[in-house]
Amino acid sequence: MRRTFVFVGFLVACSVGLAGTASVAHAEAVQYMSRHPIPKRVGHGFCEIDVPHFHDYPPSDPRLYRQVNGQNYFVGDPTPFGYDGPRYSFYGPHPIADPNVQLGGTSYCYLEGPHSHWYAPPPQAHFEMKGGAYWYTGAYEPSFYADQPRFVVVNDVYAPMVYERPVIDVAFAPPAFHAEFLVGGGPGWRYAPGWRENPGWRGPGPGPGWRGPGPGPGWRGPERREMVMRERHEEFRHEEHREWEHGHDHGWHGGPPGHEPGGPHGGWRGGPPGHEPGGPHGGWHPGPGPAAHAGPPGGGWHGGGGGPHPGGGGHGNQFHR
Amino acid sequence: MRRTSFNLAGVLVAGVLLFGAGCHKETAPAAAPAGPGAPPATPPPAHVDGTPHTDAVEGAWRTAGLAPEGFAALQPVPYGASYCEEGRVQSIDTVVCEYRDQDALAKGQAGLMDQWGREGGHTGVAYHSKLTMIAIVDRARHDPNGKIIHQAIDAFRKL
Repeated sequence: MRRTFVFVGFLVACSVGLAGTASVAHAEAVQYMSRHPIPKRVGHGFCEIDVPHFHDYPPSDPRLYRQVNGQNYFVGDPTPFGYDGPRYSFYGPHPIADPNVQLGGTSYCYLEGPHSHWYAPPPQAHFEMKGGAYWYTGAYEPSFYADQPRFVVVNDVYAPMVYERPVIDVAFAPPAFHAEFLVGGGPGWRYAPGWRENPGWRGPGPGPGWRGPGPGPGWRGPERREMVMRERHEEFRHEEHREWEHGHDHGWHGGPPGHEPGGPHGGWRGGPPGHEPGGPHGGWHPGPGPAAHAGPPGGGWHGGGGGPHPGGGGHGNQFHR
Repeated sequence: MRRTSFNLAGVLVAGVLLFGAGCHKETAPAAAPAGPGAPPATPPPAHVDGTPHTDAVEGAWRTAGLAPEGFAALQPVPYGASYCEEGRVQSIDTVVCEYRDQDALAKGQAGLMDQWGREGGHTGVAYHSKLTMIAIVDRARHDPNGKIIHQAIDAFRKL
């Protein structure tokens, strides 16, 4: 009899446990504002719903999202997540200009270098389309700098990813383009020692494709550097070509053009940065050195890219509304 | 003796299971159909002028290559709407409602999403154009990437 009661107790406990499991199986609804990647544990690919909706799973990586009124908005480049709709190329950080969402004030995309979004900025926004990409030519609000430490980590997500990034020639940057390069931001996102914020420079520079040697002795973590392209644009381009002429046949030694040996970042002795397979799609555009696969300097990769990409159909209006 | 004990155990277990099942019936549908004894309430629901009608929405879905099926009017009309139909689009549960004003629409849409969120569907969405709302809930992961839902919304907003 006693054994029977023990058995009954066991069954009751199991039943209660099952009931509890059933109740938590109704996962909390998580709100999404628009399209977003689908976490691998749920499935794969990209959720195509471009209006507010909910799912029974949370975002795969919070670094890729901005939360607005309890809703998650995907702020990254959708390309590596299986998104196959229209894409538009951007260069560097910029205000999020998705005309289909209200983010309650100016929010910024902190992606460095060339990247894509599913939206084209509206005409009234301060963007210029040059060389197949949108360049932000307006001013940055104080919130851009205030939020930078929190949101610049989005670059860490893309740093190790291998995917087809838009090819953008910075020579096309409009004079009013006023880039904000966000240096640092966490592990995996590192600039080469001696890298200069130089629009003409296509060596180790900003961009998700860059995986160069670690920070030098002068590294102090994230910092912001400012670059005004208008003044030094042509000068840098000349430097770039001069360096290629001298450096091409001798391998890749030393830093990028104009690098001061022993400068604040320490000596650069590494080779070219980790080049993404598949050609010069990344933020790092192959320059000199035998490891560069892009052919002679300045050849073969100028311009091009930009959005909308042919692969995505390039008919944003038809796709959206 | 042993047999009696096991019978007792079975009864207890069944009781616990029934109790548990009863405890978790916490969400009642907002639009419970009127019982046979219910008094005749409002007049039969009528479409709302000036906003896409339910049949036009279903037609747009057919034109877009989708297959709406089983749509029938709901009575009493739920979610504060003036007219509602429920059916399926590509096997995904779908509701189309017509409202008389924006306030009722906003409340109805929010209430529906809240209810579906509590019920725990895989994906839920409510979207409106003018005074017509479509709401789609994918309870069985028929549309994991949202392709069908996106298509349904896209067709609807072109109306």
